[in-house]
Amino acid sequence: MDLSPYETDNSVSCRLASQIPDVCRTEDCCLGIDEAGRGPVLGPMVYGICFCPVSKKPQLKASKVADSKTLTEAERENLFQTLDKAKSYIGWAVQILSPNTISTSMLQRTKYNLNALSHDTAIGLVQYALDSGVQLTEVFVDTVGPAEKYQEKLSKLFPGIEVTVRPKADSLFPVVSAASICAKVARDRVVKGWNFPEDLEEVDADYGSGYPSDPKTKAWLLKYLDPVFGYPQFVRFSWSTAQTLMDSKGVTVHWDDDDEDGEKAAQRQNNRSMLAYFSASAGGNNQNATHQTHRFFTERRLKSLDTL
Amino acid sequence: MATKKKRTPDVQNDSWVVIAADSAIDTKKDDSDPAFVRLRNPTTDAASLYMLSSGDVQLFEVKAFEEDFHSWFVGQNVQRDGRLLFVTPMDPLYLILPYYIKSGKEEKFQPVDQVVMDEEFPACSRLLSCTRSLASLHHIAEEKEVGKLKFHRYSQEKTMNWLKKKVERTVSALKARNISVGEGVKSTTYVRVKSESDCHEEDYLRYAHGLISEYLSEDLSKALLKHLQLPELTSPKETEPPSKKRKLSDKQVEAGEDYTKFNSADFARKPPKKMTAAQKSLSKVDKTGMKTMSSFFSPKVKAEKK
Repeated sequence: MDLSPYETDNSVSCRLASQIPDVCRTEDCCLGIDEAGRGPVLGPMVYGICFCPVSKKPQLKASKVADSKTLTEAERENLFQTLDKAKSYIGWAVQILSPNTISTSMLQRTKYNLNALSHDTAIGLVQYALDSGVQLTEVFVDTVGPAEKYQEKLSKLFPGIEVTVRPKADSLFPVVSAASICAKVARDRVVKGWNFPEDLEEVDADYGSGYPSDPKTKAWLLKYLDPVFGYPQFVRFSWSTAQTLMDSKGVTVHWDDDDEDGEKAAQRQNNRSMLAYFSASAGGNNQNATHQTHRFFTERRLKSLDTL
Repeated sequence: MATKKKRTPDVQNDSWVVIAADSAIDTKKDDSDPAFVRLRNPTTDAASLYMLSSGDVQLFEVKAFEEDFHSWFVGQNVQRDGRLLFVTPMDPLYLILPYYIKSGKEEKFQPVDQVVMDEEFPACSRLLSCTRSLASLHHIAEEKEVGKLKFHRYSQEKTMNWLKKKVERTVSALKARNISVGEGVKSTTYVRVKSESDCHEEDYLRYAHGLISEYLSEDLSKALLKHLQLPELTSPKETEPPSKKRKLSDKQVEAGEDYTKFNSADFARKPPKKMTAAQKSLSKVDKTGMKTMSSFFSPKVKAEKK
């Protein structure tokens, strides 16, 4: 797996893929989808697909691919080598969603949650396989959110393909296990050799598993908190672990879409009470009391100053 | 989800982001640096910030662009205050004018340094060193020369003519800059195919008058409006429709419904429930097509797994 396309810019989403085996273009194929790194506060989330002709399912099973969580890192690496070597009939692709992509999606003005991001990434990968000419007839997916709804969504998007969405699909279907191995291997390699684009000098690489519950991860997050900027792009800002730390230790930053309520906020935003519109006198009196700045200036947010 | 953030009070900072004309910071002519000065604002009669540069030869006004949720990154620092200050040239006559109007009541010819005096803002005498000040006094006052000394007396007529010219020049500037002066709101980035035909000369005049009035007292602004022969805008109150009142008629009121049926013996009378004021007002509202509050709390068919 050549990670260099991702490492040149690890702030964006990146797709890495094997060559498409010739048989996959002619024979009916099955495809498995799984993800790695959904929960950690550090590093990317990786989506993987693996596909092979339906007739080659027994061979895939014989290679003893299993749910990536039950395997050691070394076993996963070995199994990935096996999959990669069987390039005559097995193809794979991974989509690396950088932590920065996850942060900016979830924290943007119109919120784009992790489930939606996951679904769209999975859909994108299936579409990639179809666009590359893989003759898909069966798709197996490990679920995100309610399985039935997800299955319905995918079936509608890909008519003519039999979609199976199951929880724990990675231990039920070898093709999903294979996909999970591709995803997990990609994530492990990216996290291990993470290129910090920030100028941090010598970075302490001992950040543990990256899961919020890991004390090592927590200690690392505390150490690398910048009061103004927060964290390097390696951290998912949208995770509550990161947010809580930034709220308590960092400088307060206000955005104009922050939820603020109460009278103070209304006053600050210059909102008038609903009642003010119904009383006739209130508006008239105000205008005489203070000079009203011409709209040329108010429209341009320009004010006179009396002190600096 | 967002936690409540407390606003810390604004801290005074010692740096500003300023856009200024080159002439404002030109220190070659004189060894004195440009300086911020507090002077009497002709509109509000309170203090406002101005700038005098290169030995008080030029006057500038200071305006701040200020909007919520802005900060600056300056070099390797963050500046919390996201203000942008503009230092733009200004005609000193606007600031001198109020002093002349005040002394004009005495109807005497006076030397300039006796007129432009202010205990509250002693810096106002520095206005007289501006290149244009003394040379343009004749726009607002009658002049008399006795020997080598000059004396002035405020003239409303001259001032109005001067201000009218200012308005006319502003109108041409507004037109040249394509500034929207009409009632509606227009986007500057939206490219119109049709040429503007709905902009009347009066709109421009009124807008320019409003702009010039930012530098005049309220009385002077009104006088200028008359001088420009612009009618005063009717207050919004008068354009409002008269308040609705139920029409009274002399006809006899007849019952629309027969209530006597409730009087029959078999009609079980329930004591009317007491309603709170909120419930009463709610009962008058049209609630068709609305969900009841309780429907939002009934268990969902299937809770989404996170």
